[in-house]
Amino acid sequence: MEELRVKRKWAWPPRLPKWRYRERVNFRIGMLFLLPWTIGFLAFTLYPMVASFIYSFSIYHARAPLEWVGLQNYIGLFKDDLFWKSLFNTLYMVAIGVPITLLASFFCAVLLNLKVRGQAIYRVIYFLPSIVPTVASAILWLWILNPQTGILNTLLGYIGIQGPNWMSNPAWSKPGLILLGMWGMGSTIVIYLSGLQDVPTHLLEAAELDGANWWQRLWNITVPMVSPITLFNLITGVITMFQYFAQAYVFRGSHGLGYPLNSTLFYSVYLYQNAFLWLKMGYASAMAWVLFIVILVCTLLLLKVSERFTYYAG
Amino acid sequence: MTATLPTQYPGFPSRLETDEERRKRGRRRKVRSFFQSLFSHAAINFIGLFFLIPFLWMLITAFKSNEDVFHTPPRWLPYDNVRVEVNGELLPLYNVQTESGVKQLAAVKIVEGVGTFVDPAHPDQTMEYEIQQGATKIAEPIMHISFRWQNFPDAMSRGSRPGIGASFWVYFRNSLIIAFFSIVGTLFSNTPVAYAFARLKFPGRDLLFVLILSTMMLPFQATMIPIYLFFNDTLHWGNTFLPLIIPTFFANAYDVFLLRQFFKTIPEEMCDAARVDGASEWQIFTRVVLPLSVPVLATVTVFTFLWAWNDFTGPLLFLTSPKNFTMALGLQDFQSQRSMIWNQLMAAATVFTVPIVVAFFFAQKTFIQGIKLTGLKE
Repeated sequence: MEELRVKRKWAWPPRLPKWRYRERVNFRIGMLFLLPWTIGFLAFTLYPMVASFIYSFSIYHARAPLEWVGLQNYIGLFKDDLFWKSLFNTLYMVAIGVPITLLASFFCAVLLNLKVRGQAIYRVIYFLPSIVPTVASAILWLWILNPQTGILNTLLGYIGIQGPNWMSNPAWSKPGLILLGMWGMGSTIVIYLSGLQDVPTHLLEAAELDGANWWQRLWNITVPMVSPITLFNLITGVITMFQYFAQAYVFRGSHGLGYPLNSTLFYSVYLYQNAFLWLKMGYASAMAWVLFIVILVCTLLLLKVSERFTYYAG
Repeated sequence: MTATLPTQYPGFPSRLETDEERRKRGRRRKVRSFFQSLFSHAAINFIGLFFLIPFLWMLITAFKSNEDVFHTPPRWLPYDNVRVEVNGELLPLYNVQTESGVKQLAAVKIVEGVGTFVDPAHPDQTMEYEIQQGATKIAEPIMHISFRWQNFPDAMSRGSRPGIGASFWVYFRNSLIIAFFSIVGTLFSNTPVAYAFARLKFPGRDLLFVLILSTMMLPFQATMIPIYLFFNDTLHWGNTFLPLIIPTFFANAYDVFLLRQFFKTIPEEMCDAARVDGASEWQIFTRVVLPLSVPVLATVTVFTFLWAWNDFTGPLLFLTSPKNFTMALGLQDFQSQRSMIWNQLMAAATVFTVPIVVAFFFAQKTFIQGIKLTGLKE
């Protein structure tokens, strides 16, 4: 008797749990409803993932047949200076651009949450740039950052600062792109703002009665209360920044990709260059998989580390 | 004598305050709150300028004349030459230092620093002056504030490269076509999927939902190359709109998530009532849930439009001939080909931006709701 049960436990195919009639019917209906996504998932996610995994172990030029080379692409990446350069550029944006933008948008949200006259108009002004199309805003900022006729350096000149040659100076091209990103951070502000509105007022009032000043209330109540939102914004910001492409592609103007001196050669830009300009599809696929794993690791790491810094009410 | 109070509580006043002290405290508080509000107003306005000025600068540049665009330092309003009609031609007026003092002369042509001028009063007599002698300017154009509306038709009626037979109007139309079909595809494909996740209970549902959400983390770059090869080489859809439109007919994680969050807020009892009356799941979905979901469908419509209108990478990969370019691609191409015509570039960028700004002002709540729904809930 005992033996029989053990045998059954290991039976192949594994026994499915007995579904109730309703569940079976619902499963069938559910699968029909899910059909668009299922097909899409197979065709535009699963198949491309598997295919690019295979490409990443081969030399593939799209026209000629696939040539298996094992780990050569991945080894090549480690020896490729441009790969490291592009990774450095991307990490620069992730490590500096994302936190600065996050901090600035939190500060803006706090300002927009103050009770001032014309609050609604201020909110519209802060939000509007974020809906300007990426290409349009990148070109606009290229014009604004123009060293001679741009308004940013003109304004800096008014207060006696000699502005840098933003887009032709490799040291200043990435800060220029961060400025462009901060101009369009409206949706992050909106997310923070709705978080601020959910901070319980009784806590703030109690703290005020106890004599806590504005900064103490902000730091000890508001910041912890919106920490889940910070985490959300941080993770989406990091994921987006790792895929940074269109702005950098536009910002080089009529110069080659990565201008000036490969300082805007971001990971995705270099990947695009490999895949579609040099037709090194296999090499680019290896880059794509490395990117995927880096993003995965970063996200999980952030989630793990954040457990200690995030406060979930209730 | 003032009453004394126990002092063992830190921060507790050691005695009751007098009326005079209370008034003083009230005044101090008033002064402080005045300065606080002054500071917050200053901060909100100052940072507001950072968001507002670039936006205005786009508009101002779009109205500038060619002569004004490269003026240093840049002027805050668009200027243009004052022109007079001489012999049936509109010529720009210059202040020219002649032998007999400063005169207003019209420039016929300026070649290599030497200008040929004509006095509007005596149109048959031309004279030549150097524009600049050493550091002193001899001839200075007379400018006045003038909005050059002509930049808009000029920019729109030309393509991103000379002689390609496609203007920005064509790009505009292409963008509209792609956006329209993307909206149709997104609405048709995402709603049933979201309904299944929100309202149907079946084994494996939650596992599938986690799978959907995890695809959000997948970078486009990881799937880009096989998708490109599939559309381009297998289906031969390169240089058509199909690779940009067809994928929207197969649902995506963001919209499924957004719609599911909304569908879950529709009272279960309404669906159950329909079920008791013998309605099938499809009927509940189309007759009960969808009519109640108009606000969220509007959100999806707006955001899909925004996304399709904005998309750059997709068109860059698939659209190769200029007659198929979208606005985003055309604008980038225009910029890389003739980077000097900033006024027309900004005019085209303005036309590119206007539909979205208009949509925003019509559907402000929808925008904000969409950001909050995808950003926050769950």
